[in-house]
Amino acid sequence: MSAPMPPPTTLEHARWERFKSKLGGWSLTTYGILAFAFLYLPIVILVIFSFNDSRSVSKWSGFTWAWYGKMFQDGQIMLSIWNSLFLAIVSTIIATVLGTLAALGLERYRFRGKTAVDSMFYLPVIIPDIAMAIMLLIFFNMSGIGFTPWKVNFFGARLAVPYSVIIGHVAFNTSFVAIVVRARLAQMDRTLEEAASDLYANAWQTFRRVTLPMLMPGIIGGALLAFTLSLDDFVITFFTSGAGFNTLPVRVFGMIKKGVTPKINAVSTLMLVVSLSLVVVSILISMRSGSEDSVTIGM
Amino acid sequence: MNDAYAVELRDVVKQFGDVIAVNHVSLQIKDGEFFSLLGPSGCGKTTTLRMIAGFEMPTSGAIFIHGEQQGYRPPNKRPVNTVFQNYALFPHMTVAENIAFGMEMRQVPKDEIQRRVDEALAMVRLAGMGNRKPKQLSGGQQQRIALARALVNRPEVLLLDEPLGALDLKLRKAMQIELKALQEEVGITFIYVTHDQEEALTMSDRIAVMNNGVVHQVGDPESIYEHPADRFVADFIGETNFIPVRVVSLSPEIVVALDTGQQVVAGWAEEGLSVGDKAVLSIRPEKMDLLEPKEMPKSPSQQMAYVKGKVTHLVYVGADTRHTVVLGDGSEIVVRLQNSYIGEEPWEIGEETIVTWNAAHARILKE
Amino acid sequence: MTERLRRHPELQAWLILAIPVIFLLIFFMAPLVIVFVYSFLERGKYGGVEWVFTLDNIRRVFDPLYFKTFVRSFYIAIVTTLVTLILGYPLAYFIAKSPPSRRNALVFALMIPFWTNFLIRTYAWLTLLRTHTGLINVTLMNWGIIDKPLPLYGNDFAIILGLVYGWLPVMVLPIYAALERLDESLLEAARDLYASSAKAFRRVTWPLSLPGVVAGSMLVFIPSLGAFVTPAILGGGKSLMIGNIISNQFLGAHDWPFGSALSMVMMIAMLIATLIYFRWTKKSEDVT
Repeated sequence: MSAPMPPPTTLEHARWERFKSKLGGWSLTTYGILAFAFLYLPIVILVIFSFNDSRSVSKWSGFTWAWYGKMFQDGQIMLSIWNSLFLAIVSTIIATVLGTLAALGLERYRFRGKTAVDSMFYLPVIIPDIAMAIMLLIFFNMSGIGFTPWKVNFFGARLAVPYSVIIGHVAFNTSFVAIVVRARLAQMDRTLEEAASDLYANAWQTFRRVTLPMLMPGIIGGALLAFTLSLDDFVITFFTSGAGFNTLPVRVFGMIKKGVTPKINAVSTLMLVVSLSLVVVSILISMRSGSEDSVTIGM
Repeated sequence: MNDAYAVELRDVVKQFGDVIAVNHVSLQIKDGEFFSLLGPSGCGKTTTLRMIAGFEMPTSGAIFIHGEQQGYRPPNKRPVNTVFQNYALFPHMTVAENIAFGMEMRQVPKDEIQRRVDEALAMVRLAGMGNRKPKQLSGGQQQRIALARALVNRPEVLLLDEPLGALDLKLRKAMQIELKALQEEVGITFIYVTHDQEEALTMSDRIAVMNNGVVHQVGDPESIYEHPADRFVADFIGETNFIPVRVVSLSPEIVVALDTGQQVVAGWAEEGLSVGDKAVLSIRPEKMDLLEPKEMPKSPSQQMAYVKGKVTHLVYVGADTRHTVVLGDGSEIVVRLQNSYIGEEPWEIGEETIVTWNAAHARILKE
Repeated sequence: MTERLRRHPELQAWLILAIPVIFLLIFFMAPLVIVFVYSFLERGKYGGVEWVFTLDNIRRVFDPLYFKTFVRSFYIAIVTTLVTLILGYPLAYFIAKSPPSRRNALVFALMIPFWTNFLIRTYAWLTLLRTHTGLINVTLMNWGIIDKPLPLYGNDFAIILGLVYGWLPVMVLPIYAALERLDESLLEAARDLYASSAKAFRRVTWPLSLPGVVAGSMLVFIPSLGAFVTPAILGGGKSLMIGNIISNQFLGAHDWPFGSALSMVMMIAMLIATLIYFRWTKKSEDVT
């Protein structure tokens, strides 16, 4: 067997090779820029037209804040914003507790039937939201829980949030939190807990002083993800709320069905700002929790 | 209480599923001793240590610490502390908080904790580093913090799981000396797990050599090296030649026959061998010498063995030269000769030679 | 008590898991079972069901009228996955080849659109694609490049574009993760052993990034097949997918058993597709 040998290296050949690799680099960079443009342009255009001084979202006719004013005067939109926030906060809190417990139980123990429990926690993540939505719809309808609302005064807003929607959100968020926390738990050095118990800490002290603080970035990350997913959700809310309950995405969907106006762009921009702030918060948190590692890199 | 051993293992077995990690191990470790568990990875030494610490429970058998049976006692209720292989320093706490942790859990008064943390830092020569985070320290410094964190609790026994494994060679050598000195200073029993035979030999008062979950030999460094109890120990500790032989007689003298038929005398034979058995003659390379054929004595002493061979390889290793010699029966042995004889003709490849050794150094071991 | 817990870690595990497991059993597994049961029941007069066993619903799923939509949904999901892979791989490669200091920033830049509400992102495309009033057609016609609006909206193209846009980041992320882990010296070794850069890619980079490709494809394929929002908004009421048909059974037609049967079949089809795909990539992984 004879391996093909590379051609003799001449100066021209070397130049050609260098040109080729540079060309490769340039086209890759160009592609990267185009791809990011593809990802961002629609959003940027959406934001621009929220300031358009006409009902059109395709012809620019001048700058105005008017659509934002209209948005904040629209009682239904404001109510749906409060609904979204309340729903996200409540379901995140519950899901974070449940998901963290699930992560601890599944990552730290071996027991009979673990595979089954394991798959059960992955299912809500994998199943398309439309399937999960109608599952819950049928269940709530049949079980007699129905769409009974939780009447609550939330920062002065009088809300009526169906328990079914809260439960629906917790059902999918628990799994996401469990996955995020489990990832962190899996990375965690178990000898740290052994070291704590070797140093006279009992099970609770070990959890409180070592496991929980080490796990915190994962728990916060999971909670942020749950909060975002809850704010974003349209399909499950839409099907499990019964009539008359709107979160912001459900409201927006209703508006889109009626027709396109820059007011929707304004609402969208508001939601975009909220998502962006959540991303910034998560970056800050991951940077802070990573700071211990970055010190070593610095050294 | 005082006459009890610091740590005693009675017939301890540990099974993980079908795997027997520790197989009927019994050990007695004396108070104030530097005791090493030595063996290749997977030999069960770390599992043994973890059972003493309480991280694993024996499948059967009992563990006593100063005469007290430990049973299902959890690690936090045992009078021992561990220095972990990766140090296991809590990354979210400062160095001082790490060291204080154990005392805090035992509700030692605050001012005493403060005082003892300072003392511990001074002991490992890291005074003033208390406010740093572990990640800001070098590997050697982290190692010393792990040591301080364990010793500050004044345990009855300190367990060390390959604590120097992550350090580079030079630092490791320095830490070996430091550790040994520290142990002598505090007088606490150390149980030290390592796979590095040199480390075990230099530091330990006594060593237990383990393989496949079984303790092969317990003894001080010299007896482990000079008088290996079986083939595994002879092979694992230092370098050894094994020459296939057959047992000819066991008393009054131990006599074995090489494959060539030549009979030689040996100083010791493993228990359980009987006349006619196949065995190996084990001898260290530095215990042998090479003679020129013409130097062969006319009336050889009964205490010396002389075997003909031929030099096939020479490797110069500084202080000495390794001579590979093929014997008449085809077996290859290595003879190490010091490079200290001025004016002596060096051996050359292909030369006929006579390998000689004192019978007392030859040990007959089961195959 | 604590002593018993210590000796029986299994008991500890169940104590910790009890609440989340019971929650999911009631509010996830029970609904799943109910949907399964509903698939075999007769439809009630005013919504709901009659407790009579029937196979009609399952049979109707395979009625050409509905089965056609099934096939279309599969087609759309497969094309979406392929296009996302073709667009996403080079993007992942670009990020992985960027200087390490810039990589994290690029990953965040990739994820920001993904963290933006899916509905809004779909709506953004609606304002761009609509036939007579969409930005693209309006602009092109104003510039005189075209004189008739292009068919950008209310068809499979619009749905696929919306889905590709929506799920591109989740395709890129796992591929990037695989490429980033890839040891540069493996490529150097390949080049050292006489491989051209194209061969080095095909024989080293590609097979080692395959787990990322598999993960990314699954993450795109499954939600694409079950898409509801994208066809509802960009399909213009004409181009529908299974998700819309299912939802119609609950919102309009009040045929819950049939809706249940449709989603059961969809989930089973998804499961089968996933298994086949895993089997297939496993095989091609063994070959390369």
